Order: sequence, then C-alpha cells, then structure tokens
Amino acid sequence: MIDESTQLETQSMRQGSAASLSLLIGAKCRALCNDVQQSLTEAPFRVLVTVGCMGLVWLGLYGLFRMIFEYLEQSPLEAAVAIPLVFNYFFAAMLVMLTVSNAIIAYSSLFSGTESDFLLSAPVSLSTYVSLKYLETLFFSSWALVLLGLPLMLAMADIYEEPVAYYPFFSAFFLLFVPIPGALGLLLAWFAARFMNHTMRRRLVVTIIVVFVVSVVWVLRSVQSGEDGSTRWLHEFLYKISFVRSALLPSTWVAKGVDASIHYRSGEALAYLIVVASNAMFLSMLAVAVVSWRFTSVFDKAVSAGGAGARKASGPLGGFGGAVFFYLPRGMRMIAVKDWRMFIRDPGQWTQLAVLLGLMILYLANLPRFASAVPLEGWGMIIPFLNLGALSFILATFTSRFIFPLVSLEGRQMWLIGLLPITAAQLLMAKFAFAMTVSVVVSLFTTMLAVLVLKMPGAWAVLQVCVTMSVCVGLCGLAVGVGARLPVFGSHSAARIANSFGGTVNLVASVAMILLMLVGMGILGFHNKYTGFHGPVDSTTLAIAGTVSLIGVGSGIFALFLGARHLSHRDM
Amino acid sequence: MSTTSIEISSVHKRYGRKVAVRNLSLSVPRGELFAFLGPNGAGKTTTIKMICGLLRPQEGTITVCGESIVKNGIRAKARIAYVPDQPFLYEKLTGREFLLFVAKMYSVRPAERDRLLDELIQRLDMSDFLDFMAEGYSHGMKQKVVLAAALIHDPEVLVVDEPMVGLDPRTVRVVKDLFVERSRRGKAVFMSTHTLGIAEAVSDRIGIINHGELIALGDLQELRSRASSQSSLEDIFIQLAHPEMVSNMIVNGR
Repeated sequence: MIDESTQLETQSMRQGSAASLSLLIGAKCRALCNDVQQSLTEAPFRVLVTVGCMGLVWLGLYGLFRMIFEYLEQSPLEAAVAIPLVFNYFFAAMLVMLTVSNAIIAYSSLFSGTESDFLLSAPVSLSTYVSLKYLETLFFSSWALVLLGLPLMLAMADIYEEPVAYYPFFSAFFLLFVPIPGALGLLLAWFAARFMNHTMRRRLVVTIIVVFVVSVVWVLRSVQSGEDGSTRWLHEFLYKISFVRSALLPSTWVAKGVDASIHYRSGEALAYLIVVASNAMFLSMLAVAVVSWRFTSVFDKAVSAGGAGARKASGPLGGFGGAVFFYLPRGMRMIAVKDWRMFIRDPGQWTQLAVLLGLMILYLANLPRFASAVPLEGWGMIIPFLNLGALSFILATFTSRFIFPLVSLEGRQMWLIGLLPITAAQLLMAKFAFAMTVSVVVSLFTTMLAVLVLKMPGAWAVLQVCVTMSVCVGLCGLAVGVGARLPVFGSHSAARIANSFGGTVNLVASVAMILLMLVGMGILGFHNKYTGFHGPVDSTTLAIAGTVSLIGVGSGIFALFLGARHLSHRDM
Repeated sequence: MSTTSIEISSVHKRYGRKVAVRNLSLSVPRGELFAFLGPNGAGKTTTIKMICGLLRPQEGTITVCGESIVKNGIRAKARIAYVPDQPFLYEKLTGREFLLFVAKMYSVRPAERDRLLDELIQRLDMSDFLDFMAEGYSHGMKQKVVLAAALIHDPEVLVVDEPMVGLDPRTVRVVKDLFVERSRRGKAVFMSTHTLGIAEAVSDRIGIINHGELIALGDLQELRSRASSQSSLEDIFIQLAHPEMVSNMIVNGR
C-alpha cells in the first residue's frame, strides 16, 4: 500500500508547482464560468442592470475625463505641463491606494477562511499557494484601476488624436503597473502577520488612518497658504509635493512612459515599459519568495493570535447600546443592541465611517476660508448645498456597505429570528433604528458644526437639520428595505453582499434619491440666491424643503414597506 | 517503510498564554482506527491541525508515515486526507467538478479515479445532487462530497474531525463501514468525535484528551480497567474527563 502511495507522491512531486498552480487557477476559472453561466440563465435582468450600472459609471468617468482634457486643450502650453503632472499624481495616488487595498485583501485571503485549511492540508507547495492568493488579490483589487484607466485612455485619445502606438503602450503600462502595488501589499500583509500581534495590528490601522488624515490636512493647508491663484503660490505648492515625481517611484516611470508614447517617442516609452515590467516581475517574485519562506509558521501565528481564547467583550460602548435603544420594545431592542455591539466590535465598520467623518470635519473646519474665497453674492446657498451633498454621499457609502447586508447576514440564523416573538416589520424597524442611530449621530454632529461655522440663523438651521434627517430616513430605509427585499442569504461576507445585485439596486436608488433631493435643494438655493441664509424663510422655501424632505422620508418608508412585506411572506 | 502512520512525540502548543496541547505523545500504527475524544476546547482540533500541517507545534515532532510534517510537508501531506468539522467546497463548482479537481491535485490516474468515483457515488448515495452546484447543498451533502474527496486518492492516513455531523443514519452506517474497511486494508484512520457510541463500536483504540493533556489511552477493555468499571464508553468518558460530574451524581444519589 505504501508503495502505491509513494508512486502517487512521486507523480505529484513531478507535477511541479507550475502545474499545481495552473490546476488551481483552472478550478477558480471553472467556478467563475459557472457563476456567470448561472447568472445569465437564472437572472439575466440582474446581469443587465449590473452591467448597465457599470456602464453608466464608466460613461460618467469618460465624460468627466473628456471635460478635463477639453478644458486643458484650450491652452496647449498649460496642457503640456499639466498632463504629465496629472498622470504622475494619478499613478502615485493609485500606488498608495492599491498597496493598502492589496494588503487588506491579501491578509484575509492568505490567513483566514476554510479554503486556506483545505489547500494547506493538500500536497500543494507553499509557493504555489502564495502565488495563487497573490494572483487572486491582484484580480480583486485591480479591476477598479482598469475601470478608471480605460475611460482616461479613451478620453485622452479622443481629444488629442493620439498615435496608434499610444493604445498598446497605455494598456501595457496599466497592466504591468498593477503587480507593483500588488507585491508591496502582499509584503505588507505578510509583515503584519509575521511581526505584529492582534493589538499591534489594530495600532497599525489607527496609525495609517492618522497618517492619512494628517496628509490631507497638510495638503489642504498647502493649498490654502500663500496668495490664491498666484504663479508663485502654484510653484511653491508644486515644489512641496514634488517628491511624488521622484525618479525612484514606479508611478513616475509609468507617467513618463505614457507621456513619451503620447509624444511619438516610442523608444523612450518602450524603455520605461521595460523598467516597469522588470520591476513588476522582480517584486512579484521577491514577494512570493519572501512570503512563502517559512509561511506555515507565519500562518500559525496569524491564526493562533485570533484563536487565543475568549476575548473580553463589551466595555462601556457595548453596554451603551442598551441605553440608546431604550425606546424600542424588548424584542426589537435586543436586535438593535446586537447590531450595535457588532458594529462597535468590528473596526472595519467604524474606522471607515470615522475616516469619512474626519474628512467631513476637515472640510467643515476649513469652510470659513473657502467661504471668504468665493463671492457670496448670488451664491449664498452654495455652501449648505455642498454640505448636504457631501454628507449624503458619505451616509450612502455607509448604508450601502454596512446597513444593506444586515438582513442578509441574519440568513444562517433566520430560524432563530423566526422563533422570536416579533414580526418581520418589527425586525426591519429594529435594523432601521440601529441604522438611524449611527446616521443621526454622524449627521447631526456635522450639520450642527456647519451651522456654527457658518453662523446660520435659527430658522435656517432647523430647516437644514430637517432636510438632513430626511436624508438619513431615506438612506437607512432604502438600505434596510432593499436589503430585505433582495437579500443574499447564502453569504457570510458583508462585502460580497454589498456588491450583489440587491446592493447595486440599493446604491443606485440611494444615489438617485440624493440627486433628486439635491435638485430640490438647488432650486431652493436659486430661489434664495440673493439673500442666502441671511434672509427670512418664506413659504416657497418651506414648500420646497418640505417636498425635498418628503422625497427622503417617502423613499425610506416605501422601501421598508416593500422589504417587510417580502420578508413576512418568506419562509424563515 | 514505516509501520507507524502517525507519530506524535512530546508535542506542545500554546495560543498566547493558553496551553492548547501539553506534552502530547501518541502513536497510531498502520491499520488502526483511532478515536480521539475530549470535551469542547480540550485540544482535539488543534492536535488534528498539527497532524495535517496547518499549525506548528512549538515543541516536539509529528511524523506521518515516517515523514516530518514540518520538514517534509508536501511528502507527508501527499499521504494524508483531512476532513474538517466545517466541510469546504468551492460553492460555484459542482460536487463532481470538485472531486475531479481533487483527484487531479493528488495525481490519481484517470482509470483509478473513475473507478473510485463510481464506487463512492454509489456508496455515499450522491448521484442525485453531484452535478448541481455546491452552494445549494445541505451540510450532510457537503460532508458526503468532502468525505469522497478525502477518499478519492486512497490516502495512507485519514484524519477526520466530527465526521458524522449532519449525516443521515444510512450514510453514518456507510461511513463507519468505510472506516473499518480502510483500517482492515492497513490504512490508518484518526477520528475525532463526540459521538461516543460510534467510537465505541468501530475504534481499535481510544485516546481521551482534556485540558491539552492525554488522560487516557488504550482499547475499550483497557479504559474499562482504568476506570474500574464495566460500563459504557460514555460513563468511562465522564468518569475520566469530568470526575466532578461523577461526584455530583453520587451526592445526588443517582
């Protein structure tokens, strides 16, 4: 028997890492094909809507890039300076963002999940396992770059009538750039698992957030310092951020290569392409080799740290939930408190909201400077309008990503919910109460800050708060209602649920509602264009604000009604 | 050629300050069906994960068919099949596609693969659902496919964590027979379970672990003598792993 096994093992060894990798990739591709085929057969409308939404986003980006390039084309000299800079900063920003997102995805892909146990207990070499996870990470994290890159490339080609060589060069630069932040992200994930325990990892996340916020403050201060609009100020500002154009950065090589391809310097573009390609290959091989080396002990450390026994629960914020939801009946309160505790104990949720909120506060803190920089005559309502827009989109991001999946995540425990003495409508109301609590805390805080900063009179402040609250009702109601109407009960991953068809419908509905409300607020601003918020609140203003609020509240209630009706007819 | 399928020597494993496995030494020879018992959190799954190379012992060594799982991981893993307590399948692959994928991964010859596949489909009664995507499977269906995947490359050592959870009585019987057949054919089966009746019925030897330490090892007769009792494995288990429960029962006159 052992002889047979030895024979099998010898064959397996002979098969080699490359063959194993291609076998694993083959299985993943097969699964992807099955998924697409299933979607096309069982829900073609969903596919159509998803593709349509992506097409809309793509077209929107294309239109935006076209407008920018058309504007730049009006002054060719400025365009000659600006376009390479735009590429430089675009790729530098992408380098940082993709490194961070690759690190997050690589960490969860390498060190958690039952697939890791399955593959690591099979006779698959560690370098094969790491290579597979690396490729997966690249695929999942970098499609956004392609979504952004293609309209950028086409818009530019459309306006400047670029040479034919530009297209293959641009595509090649994009594709070969992707592995560089991918490899850096993989190394970062490995570093966190290898050298940091759970507490240190949390501190690392907080440090990254602080660095990010400090950088934003620094850039904002740089933008505002000096004489606005002067050439000297522009030079000073560009000098301050000239490190982004360092010849040592991959983003610079890509930007210079693209610039060379635009200006018919194919030889130079090819040279940069070779530099990017060789670095991408070297970094990829280095990252896979480093991460594979003694990977089992790193994997052991990463999974053991999480399983070090019971972690102490709660703390004051966990208990705080019970007090906040005092107004709900007992059954509903329990569900709202449970959601609250999960929110507090998941840094992935509150840190994202904290970052968005931090940016909003920064923006509000800088409002007086912006307000003094633009003539308010005829633009008196522009700032409250912008505030509402920014806050609404921040809330929409939060509700789409974290509130929408709430009902779906109950899927596995639906029998438990079904046994509770509460109706489907009450269940949704509990979810809605939780969502509203978080949203109202965030939006009331920022709205009151805006009111104070702008010294808004009482009546206008009340009106602003009412409209903001109606946005909260609308977005939370849509997220909970659509989440119940189009749930994804099979998945444990909130991110996957948020990216589902229902998630897309919720996002589109939320954006449509916000746009509709902003149109109303635009009309309100136009109506008060000369007096701004220093004038009286007349009946027309009240009527417009009432209609806008009705849109928000109505959307939320309608979605909740649809969700509750669907859930009450569903088997638990 | 090693006659020992699994050799665990002085293995120690900690999670931070918590000791999960303490100085564990255990040997499972070829052809043995070994049942590994213990209360929740006793260290069973940690031990199993160390045998399969998913976790590393901080001290001590583990060999599978003579190969160190740490030093010669791939060679050792080629001889093991692991069935976890939470069955893993690619949700968007059919059961059949998954089984063919696993067979390829272990380089099973096509003729052998087809023969084993047909046999497993028939014995585990999978023909009704094997061509549907795994996302729609019940826990029991997943468990059947994962068991079939573990057996399709005819491993020297089969390591199973709670194999009977979610299976219907007919399949439980089939799985028990499969395990016994394997041990009769000289293959080792290392089974962790809470279903003491099954352990009692099929295992050659039983090990009981508690708080990371092996507190009892031997066949049923040896355990009975150790517990000074002729009663069932359930009683012996409670007597050895939960002596405080026995004292309470005596106090309560039961």
